[in-house]
Amino acid sequence: MEHTQRTEVTAPLPSMAAPPPPSPDPQFVLRGTQSAVHALHFHSGAQGQGCPLLFSGSQNGLVHIWSLQTRRVLTTLDNHGGQCVTWLQTLPQGHQLLSQGQDLRLCLWDLTEGRNAVVDFVHLESMGFCRGSTLAMGQQRWTLAVPGKGTDEVQILEMPSKTSVCTLKPEADAKPGMPMCLELWQADSSSRPLLLVGYEDGSVALWDISQRKVCSRVACHTEPVMSLDFDSQKTRGVSGSAEKALAVWSLDEQQALQVCRTHEITNPGIADVKIRPDHRILATAGWDHRIRVFHWRTMKPLAVLAFHSAAIHCVAFANDGLLAAGSKDQRISVWSLYTQT
Amino acid sequence: MAVFDTPEEAFGVLRPVCVQLTKAQTVENVEHLQTQLQSVSDSALQELQQYILFPLRFTLKTPGPKRERLIQSVVECLTFVLSSTCVKEQELLQELFSELSACLYSPKSQKPAAVSEELKLAVIRGLSTLMHSAYGDIIVTFYEPSILPRLGFAVSLLLGLAEQEKSKQIKTAALKCLQVLLLQCDCQDHPRSLDELEQKQLGDLFASFLPGISTALTRIITGDFKQGHSIVVSSLNVFYKTVSFIMADEQLKRISKVQAESTVEHRVAKLMVHREADWVKSTGGKLTILIKKIIECVSVHPHWKVRLELIELVETLLLKCSQSLVESAGPLLKALVGLVNDESPEVQAQCNQVLRHFAGQKVVVGNRAFADILSENLHSLATSLPRLMNSQDDQGKVSSLSLLLGYLKLLGPKVNFVLNSVVHLQRLSKALVQVLELDVTDIKIVEERRWNTDHLSASPKTSAMRPWSQVQRRYFRFFTDERVFLLLQQVCQLLGFYGNLYLLVDHFMGLYHESVFYRKQAAMILNELVIGAAGLDVEDLHEKHIKTSPEELREIVTSILEEYTSQENWYLVTCIKTEEMREELTLKQPGFQAITSGAHNTCQATSLPAFSKPSPTICSMNSNIWQICIQLEGVGHFAYSLGEDFRLLLMSVLYPVLEKAGDRTLLISQAATNSMMDICHACGYDSLQHLINQNSDYLVNGISLNLRHLSLHPHTPKVLEVMLRNSDASLLPLVADVVQDVLATLDQFYDKRASSFISVLHALLVALAQWFPDTNHVGQPQEHTAEKEESHLNQRILENNATTAEDIEYFLLSYLKEKDVADGNVSDFYNEEEQSKPPEVDEKDTGPDVEPPLPVQIQIATDVMERCIHLLSDKSLKIRLKVLDVLDLCVFVLQSHKNQLLPLAHRAWPSIVQRLTNDDPLAVLRAFQVRVT
Repeated sequence: MEHTQRTEVTAPLPSMAAPPPPSPDPQFVLRGTQSAVHALHFHSGAQGQGCPLLFSGSQNGLVHIWSLQTRRVLTTLDNHGGQCVTWLQTLPQGHQLLSQGQDLRLCLWDLTEGRNAVVDFVHLESMGFCRGSTLAMGQQRWTLAVPGKGTDEVQILEMPSKTSVCTLKPEADAKPGMPMCLELWQADSSSRPLLLVGYEDGSVALWDISQRKVCSRVACHTEPVMSLDFDSQKTRGVSGSAEKALAVWSLDEQQALQVCRTHEITNPGIADVKIRPDHRILATAGWDHRIRVFHWRTMKPLAVLAFHSAAIHCVAFANDGLLAAGSKDQRISVWSLYTQT
Repeated sequence: MAVFDTPEEAFGVLRPVCVQLTKAQTVENVEHLQTQLQSVSDSALQELQQYILFPLRFTLKTPGPKRERLIQSVVECLTFVLSSTCVKEQELLQELFSELSACLYSPKSQKPAAVSEELKLAVIRGLSTLMHSAYGDIIVTFYEPSILPRLGFAVSLLLGLAEQEKSKQIKTAALKCLQVLLLQCDCQDHPRSLDELEQKQLGDLFASFLPGISTALTRIITGDFKQGHSIVVSSLNVFYKTVSFIMADEQLKRISKVQAESTVEHRVAKLMVHREADWVKSTGGKLTILIKKIIECVSVHPHWKVRLELIELVETLLLKCSQSLVESAGPLLKALVGLVNDESPEVQAQCNQVLRHFAGQKVVVGNRAFADILSENLHSLATSLPRLMNSQDDQGKVSSLSLLLGYLKLLGPKVNFVLNSVVHLQRLSKALVQVLELDVTDIKIVEERRWNTDHLSASPKTSAMRPWSQVQRRYFRFFTDERVFLLLQQVCQLLGFYGNLYLLVDHFMGLYHESVFYRKQAAMILNELVIGAAGLDVEDLHEKHIKTSPEELREIVTSILEEYTSQENWYLVTCIKTEEMREELTLKQPGFQAITSGAHNTCQATSLPAFSKPSPTICSMNSNIWQICIQLEGVGHFAYSLGEDFRLLLMSVLYPVLEKAGDRTLLISQAATNSMMDICHACGYDSLQHLINQNSDYLVNGISLNLRHLSLHPHTPKVLEVMLRNSDASLLPLVADVVQDVLATLDQFYDKRASSFISVLHALLVALAQWFPDTNHVGQPQEHTAEKEESHLNQRILENNATTAEDIEYFLLSYLKEKDVADGNVSDFYNEEEQSKPPEVDEKDTGPDVEPPLPVQIQIATDVMERCIHLLSDKSLKIRLKVLDVLDLCVFVLQSHKNQLLPLAHRAWPSIVQRLTNDDPLAVLRAFQVRVT
């Protein structure tokens, strides 16, 4: 289908001497979702006990729990009425998994000791592809950001009580369009939760939740922002959109967003972007079937990983450095980036 | 004959006989006396002992030359009397002793008198009986220093007899008598055991004879094997009893520094030995020389009873004389250890028991722990092992390795002291690696080929019950004896069991990397180390030993396997490229093989002379083949060691092994199949099919990744083929996934590798046809096995010549009809088809704008057919034939989905027509038509 796009040379690392080695392979590939993969999330297993897990959410509404040890499906969770699962997130405390589906439900699963029961769910009011975001607020409490009722609104909930904290609606004249991606975070120095939102018009906005106002907003892209990730240590973030560029922006002390640079890529469409937990590299999920890996500080391209035969929907990093990518071709490729030097 | 119970009656009978004997000393008279004696009861005889003995002793003492016959009968008679009575007087005992000994004394020479063997025997028996008949305390007092000269005479007499006589009977009797004389008799007749003081006195006395006895006995023991084992056994017995008595630590530690005031006359005192420290030291040194000689000779004695006695000797000496014979401890232990793997089970059992006893008792030998001596011995053995392995013959290797094995067994976990020394570990490993070198000159290794490509799918049923640990026959450069190999295996296993596995694996991995030369041996050793570490076959002498934990073992195995299956160690050149190509052409066509088999043989024959001389390349290929075999065997071993835990490693191992199972070198494919069987056993799979089926996801992973680098992994399609043959419909989603990769790769390599891909596609469609038999076609054979296809094809080809104009006409007619259907209404078929769809593929994951999806197998068949259309015009006839086969199967699978089939058939038509008109395999079309219409 997209044969014209296959022009980019696949090179693992620019520093490699000629002759180029064969393009790198994934460490392994997980098959069996039988549907396009839309969400991935690693779970390292609580304090060394139990093997590391990978959750995948697919188009057909199933959530698969993979054991990374046996590389096989351990359990399949099915509670989204066959509607696409767009977001998966484990909560910091214990074995609890959040899954967001296009059936307008956000399910909270209890996975302790092999259980797999829905213990609670939140009814969502927006049908879009915008993924939610969580922020731990204390021992048991956490804040949840999900797209709200109005097309341009974001709803903030206090969990697990599900009490609505507020609804963030942009000013009437801003017209940023729908929120496309959310990222809750909190500066180390303050206790005020902040929210980054990527909008349909290509802008990224920083909301102060307690004051319910936009601190800063910057236009990063000309197309809708598909995904963003934020490095709270460097107070820098990166966003990908439907266009042929990645935007890197930073936040100054006055909490003003500024675009630092944009990075051109060969083919348009970045479905997902993730910074590795150690803040050294970032990976993007490309509609052009490629995973791109960049050096986070310099934005130097490090590798283009070609394996999938259809658009990639999501990428995820594990704490130990594994990278997983889920694609429309129904496969999940798992890469070990450290061994490829 | 009446028995005379009372002394009076007996006296009445015996008196005339005795008187007559005194008067006339003839054989007849002596014999008469003996006859009469038999009718006298023991108690009566005891009363009359002195009286009866008198004429006999008188006869002996009578001066002047006597006939031997007479002396013999007198001695025999004397013996008879003594055997029924006891000697109660010291004086009588001494006198009788002297008189009997004197019978064999020849004044002219130092040697025993040249008398008849019968007489010698009689005298020996007489002496023996005399010593047994001594009553109670008399025997102790008999051994006073003053008897020394006479005793010495008797001892040397007996030694002389035992050494120099020809008659086995005399030798045995002399040795027996010697034992009695030295109070080491093991019969029941001795009234009481000696107390410490008495033991010391006797020890002092006998010490004088020690040099003589020990050297003479050593000469006997180390003499000709042909002298009979019983002589050696009794000599050994006397030797160790004497030595252990005289040199007993118990006695020696009570010996005072200064010699006690001698009460005996000067002449005798000179003969006496005072066993003080210096004497012990020098004697110990001399004895060590003798003991070494004995051990050297006896440990290889052909008779097992002798070796058994040696164990006894070692045990006794080590237990009783560990201080005094401290220098001998090493050789003694060595002897013991060497017998651990004796071929006789009795010896082995006894040896194990003794060793266990030693190990358990923490026996201390001369201030040093038993273990210290052992590890010292092991050190020195390790040092000399490379040289020994180099110079010894097979038998020598067997004993050296047995010894090594014994040390390892005994040392147990303490073996690490030796292994931790880099020098010794290197020595040890050098020896092992050196001796394990394989002979790679054999041409057969490369030559043997597997021609039957269906081998794998057929084998599991027949070989499912294969007992574990069946090793391929290997040929080693430096030995031919199978025992050597078994010993080496055991040695490695023990090392793995007791040694620090990390250290060992690291070391041998180092060797593995170091040079191609060591690689095979190192791999062999590694395989055995892991088996040993799992502790499955090892008999543990040390109960408290902690084994390597399963997690550690798995970690180690994982790293070894990673190395084994890495690109540079797994994919080695095992056959010449051109040959490969030739085979590829002929072999990838099982359907074609039958036809070309005639030509095939000649082809093989003509190719042979080219390889008839073993060239260096053949050697290196042989070496590669062995390396792969050994590594494959290792996989099996590891599976065996890890058991169910091995399942986790299947994700990385199964693919490479399966790939090798399809290798055309017979040895490799055998080894791979064996190793898969081992995996099945270890991981609890019933059969190879089960194994492959259950782990297809891992295989698919490997296949899909390797397809990306087809030039590096040319055998990948083969693996998929095998996998398809061994899987069932439940794997359809996986298969569908990988088929996409295959087709994508095929699209890139239409020209070069089409033939192997066509095989895969063929296997795929055979599988599809099997998994989804069409319900509408009851009459059709549901099993589309390869053989059937084969015969099918052959038949068609045979029919080639028979193709006539009618066929063509018929074809064209049907073509027109076909075209009509393709262009026209197909709605009638449509509904039917919807109903016949298999239910399991009813997925509702599509949006509203997409048509109901096709069943996966239909989609696959459609895709495949698409490719076939292109390949129909391939240059190679074989590929074209195969493609037609595949096409046939596609049609079979697609027959219920007319609206997919028909457009495709329509597109295929021109190419088929092309084949029809320009090519020979026309008959294929007939089958094609049948299916389509």
